[in-house]
Order: sequence, then structure tokens, then C-alpha cells
Amino acid sequence: MAEKTQNRELANVINIRLNRQLLYYIDICTRCGLCKDACHQYVATGDVTYLPAYRAELIRRVYKKYFTRTGRFIPSLVEGREPDDRLLDELYRTTYACTGCRRCMYYCPFSIDTTWLLGVAKALLLAAGRGSPILTELAGAAVMKGENIDLFKDVILESLKDTEKEVQEITGDASAQIPVEKTGARTMYVALAGTHTILPVAVIFHHARLDWTLSLFEAANYGYFLGDNKLAKTIADRIVDEAKRLQVKQIILSECGHAYRVMKFLYEAWAGEKLPFEIKGIVEVMHELVESGKIRLKKGSVTEAVTYHDPCQVGRNAGFYEEPRDLVKTVCRDYREMTPNREKNWCCGGGGGVVAEPAMDEFRLKTGMKKVEQIRVTGARMVVSPCENCRLQLDGLNERYNMDIKITSLMDLVADNLETEK
Amino acid sequence: MNWLSFIMAGIMVYVAVAVFLAGTTYKIYHWLRTPKSPVRLGMFPRPENSFGRGLKLVKDSIVFPQVLDNDRIMWFFVIMLHIVGLGTFIGHMRMLGEFAPLYNWLGADGMNTLSYIGGGSAGIILLVTVLYLLFRRFKAPYRDISVPEDYLLLMLILLIILLGDHLRFFAHFDVTDYQAYMKSLVTFSPAFPAAIAESGARWVLASHVFTASLLAIYFPFSKLVHFAGSFAGNLVRSD
Repeated sequence: MAEKTQNRELANVINIRLNRQLLYYIDICTRCGLCKDACHQYVATGDVTYLPAYRAELIRRVYKKYFTRTGRFIPSLVEGREPDDRLLDELYRTTYACTGCRRCMYYCPFSIDTTWLLGVAKALLLAAGRGSPILTELAGAAVMKGENIDLFKDVILESLKDTEKEVQEITGDASAQIPVEKTGARTMYVALAGTHTILPVAVIFHHARLDWTLSLFEAANYGYFLGDNKLAKTIADRIVDEAKRLQVKQIILSECGHAYRVMKFLYEAWAGEKLPFEIKGIVEVMHELVESGKIRLKKGSVTEAVTYHDPCQVGRNAGFYEEPRDLVKTVCRDYREMTPNREKNWCCGGGGGVVAEPAMDEFRLKTGMKKVEQIRVTGARMVVSPCENCRLQLDGLNERYNMDIKITSLMDLVADNLETEK
Repeated sequence: MNWLSFIMAGIMVYVAVAVFLAGTTYKIYHWLRTPKSPVRLGMFPRPENSFGRGLKLVKDSIVFPQVLDNDRIMWFFVIMLHIVGLGTFIGHMRMLGEFAPLYNWLGADGMNTLSYIGGGSAGIILLVTVLYLLFRRFKAPYRDISVPEDYLLLMLILLIILLGDHLRFFAHFDVTDYQAYMKSLVTFSPAFPAAIAESGARWVLASHVFTASLLAIYFPFSKLVHFAGSFAGNLVRSD
């Protein structure tokens, strides 16, 4: 009996999170199964539990059992299910495996956003105390850093000194800086863990003479991957609060797909407030700097064959298809397009926090097969992709499948090919 | 009309129309009553303005370009099912009354020929498409994602089509007989005209009407609400 009540309470999590769009998604799926060809994980494994409609169906079945007439009267007709251990185990496996690339939404004739339904699945799992431990830990560490930033500050500033020296060497300007905590700067740049996301941008911004300051925090948001919106907001708050304190006019996010999505499309809805500054991604900023002539690129200086991988969060979920291509095509003489590309592009297999989970390593490298095939067909020796998750995954694929290619960020490509002659 | 026919092809129709209308209205009301997600869920590329958005909505919901891109055979059958299904529904309207301009042009015989060729081929196409969709579900991975509702709906539709085809090809009722029956329904005094009542095929007609009524009753509570929901869903795509 206690179990029944508990299951009912769990099922109610779905009801609380329900909004109009989700209701459409629950009601209208015809289980036509066309999403099977959209999901790289189903295509690579042939395991039906990874088929998008199947993953979504787990949530649908629980919802129907408790909250629809058909499900209450004749549960067997819709295979209504209680959120018992068996269901939660399956839900955990398939939900945290999803990279959130939304390719299935593109191919769904009703535009069902399975990722969004899996967001509800994550809320259900969290309510049952079954959130991903690794993502919980990483999110917790980010919150901890936000609460105790003064303890971290000295270490951060110390490590930046070395990076600053590198910037000075590269630019040949001893006065080049990596400004931190600069009140009144026009722009705050939010990097990722590791100086590889700071150095190239510092070089580019120095050339463009931008008035900027570096955020003390990293853009990645493990609370979002975990599916805990409150936690995700707390993590994003660190950056928002810093930007407000420094009175910047804009935030530029590093090459991190989900961080941009969180800030640009989710944060204001979560917080219920309008942000007093604009949110930009480094991809569009670099493109604007080139367009406006603030930086110039060495045209055609890269001679090897190059292809571009559309990160899901930069392409399908943010709409930057041509900007990065323009930059790559300017610098690279031999540009080759993957097929399919842009909104139909295959996910690399590393999104959604999957790269953060060591237990998923085998799975993600296996499910990256489609990407490997795509890259091989182009014959490219270098893959450019403006997303840290994609690059980590592509590095893994490169090693596993002996592809012998180079994986590069767009920032590095631009920074390495700046025209410095007057 | 005997009492069983009276229930199957009389009372049942009123129940079906009432449940269908009330159920569909409630379904849409339930959707609209639920607050929208504060987050924009659309994906890119996104149309620039609301005109472009409307155009994309119509294209996505009527031509299914993503299905065409993905699975051409499925696209063919799905398009056939929907277009011919709609055509069949419109064709049935002839029982309410002749469409004057077409009738004046073709005459009574011409109309019957058109109806025989059009309705007959529609009946066969629908039969084939529904059988395709049904057999498709017997195969992995579709079998593994199917629930009993999926089979139940397809079998019910299949039954309606088989009974309809029987009426079309073997019953030989005149259109005026159907019109008389339809008129009796509209005037709330359901009765079969003599030609139907005296024929053995009256059971086929009664069963056809009965199964169609069952479908209409189940319609608003099933996945078939995608007839309205697909437009809503596809609008979210470019939100």
C-alpha cells in the first residue's frame, strides 16, 4: 500500500511539470517509429529502448495510467505503468544516455521534442532519489565554488598569470592582459575549465581591442544535464550575479553548446526576469568581428582538407549554421561538407553530459559510429567544432577508430590564423 | 428498421456524434487550459516572421517533408491514407445531398460512375494502406513500441473499410436509398428505406455505421487526436 502511494506521488511529478507542449507530446505520438532513423544511439545499437518514441513512451505510460480516462479505465490498452523500480531503472538508463541533440524532433512529423519529455523523466528520477550521481557531484562542486569564490580567487588569478604571458608572447605585445573583475567592462567572457578556452579568445579580443573581463566561473552547467532546473539556475546565477556586479553590457559564452542554450533560451524563463545585458556566443562574436573588420583572417592559409561538425546546441538549438562555416571557409582552402549537415546533422554522441560519465565511455564511443562514417567519407584531415563536448567525443572517436585526424575548436582556428600585418 | 439495426445504425450514430464533439472540444479545452511552457522550444532554422511560420506549419502538417526525407515508402502510404481518407469522408457527404454544380455537369449517371470509380479505388487504396500500417507493426522495432491501442485502432479502421468496400462492390444500393437513410438520421427518426431494409446487406450497412461510430467515440481519447495536435506540435517547432 505504501508503495502504491509512493508511486502515485512520483507520478504526480509528471503532472506538476506538465505544460501545454508536453501535453501535446503525450497525446499525439502515434508510435509510427520514424524517429528510429533519427537517433544515433538507436541506429548504432539496434536496442529498442534507445528508440526516441520508446524512451518517451515510458513517461507517457506512467502519465496515462494516472491521469487519463483511457489509462484509468483500461490501462492495458495503453500499457499504463506504475513508476516502480523496474520502470525507474529503465528510465535512468535511457534518459541519462540521451545527448539532447533533438534530431528526433526534427524528423518527427508532429515535432515531438523527446528531449523535453526526458526532462520530465529526469525530474521523476530526481524525485525518486535516482539522479545521476556523477552529474550531481559536478553540479554540487559548481555551486560550492559559487558560494566560496573568495577561496578560489587567488588560485584562479595565479594560474591566469601564465596564460597572460602566453598571450603576450603570441601577440608580441607586453601590455596584453587577461582582465578579471573589471567593473564597467563592456563584455564579460565566460570560459570553460582549462586555459585552452581562454588563451585563443584573449588573443582575438586583444587584436579586436575589445573592452572585456574574464568571468571567474566556467560556463558548463551540470545542473542542466542532471535535469534539476533549480540547481541549474543556481549555477547560472553565479555568472549572472557577477555580470550584474561588474555592470557589463553583454555576456559572451565560450564554445560550449549547452551553456549558451541555458543562458540564452532557458535562464530568463527560469528566473522570470529580463536580463539587463545581452547573451552572445563566441561563434557569432568572432563572425561579427571579422565582418566589421575588427579582426582579419589569413585567407586560405590552411591547406589540408577540413570539415565542420555542427554541434546540436549551436545548430539545431541556436541557429548558427552559416557563421561558423564562413569563418572556416575563409581560413581553409579545402573545405568539405559532411552529409547530412546543418539541421539534419548527426549528433557526435557526446552531448547531454554523457562525456562526464565514465561508465558511459564504451556506449558513447560505440554510438559515435555514424559521426565516424560521416567524417571518413569527407576525407578531411581536420574537424572543426565549436563545442567542448563534441570535441571531447571527437577526440575519443579519433583515438578509438584510428582516424588520424585533428580536432580543432573554432576559437583556435581563428586565433591561429589572425592577419597581424597592417 | 428492427431494434438491433435501430441501435447499431440509429442511436449509436447520435451517441457517436455527441461523444466525438464533446470529447474533442474537451481535449482542445484541456490543452488550451494548461499553461504554456515559458521556454521557447522551437528549433532552427526558424522562420523570420509569422507568415513564414504559418507557411511552414501548413507545409509540415500537410506534406510531411521530414517523413519524405526519412522513409519514402512510409511517406507514400501515410500521404495516401490521409488524402484518400479525407476524400472518402468528403465522398460520403453525397448522402446528405448532391453537390449541385458537379451534379448539373455530370448528371445522375455521371455522378454514379464517378462515385463508383472514385469511391471504389479509394476503398481499395485505404484497404492496402491500412494493411501496410498493420503489418508494419508486426515487425521489430515497431512491434516493440506498439501498444494494444495501436492495433485496436488499425483493426477497427480495417473493419470499417472492409464493410464499406462490401457495400460498394456487392450491396448495390442506390444513392437515393442512402440519402433516404441519411435524411432519417438528420430528422431524428432513423429508418432504413425499403430497398435497404429488405436486403440482406442491411446488416453490412448497420455494422459499417456501428464500427464507424465506435471509432468516432474512441477518437478523442486516442492518439487520433493528432489530427488537431499535429498542427499545434508543428507550430512549436518554429516557436
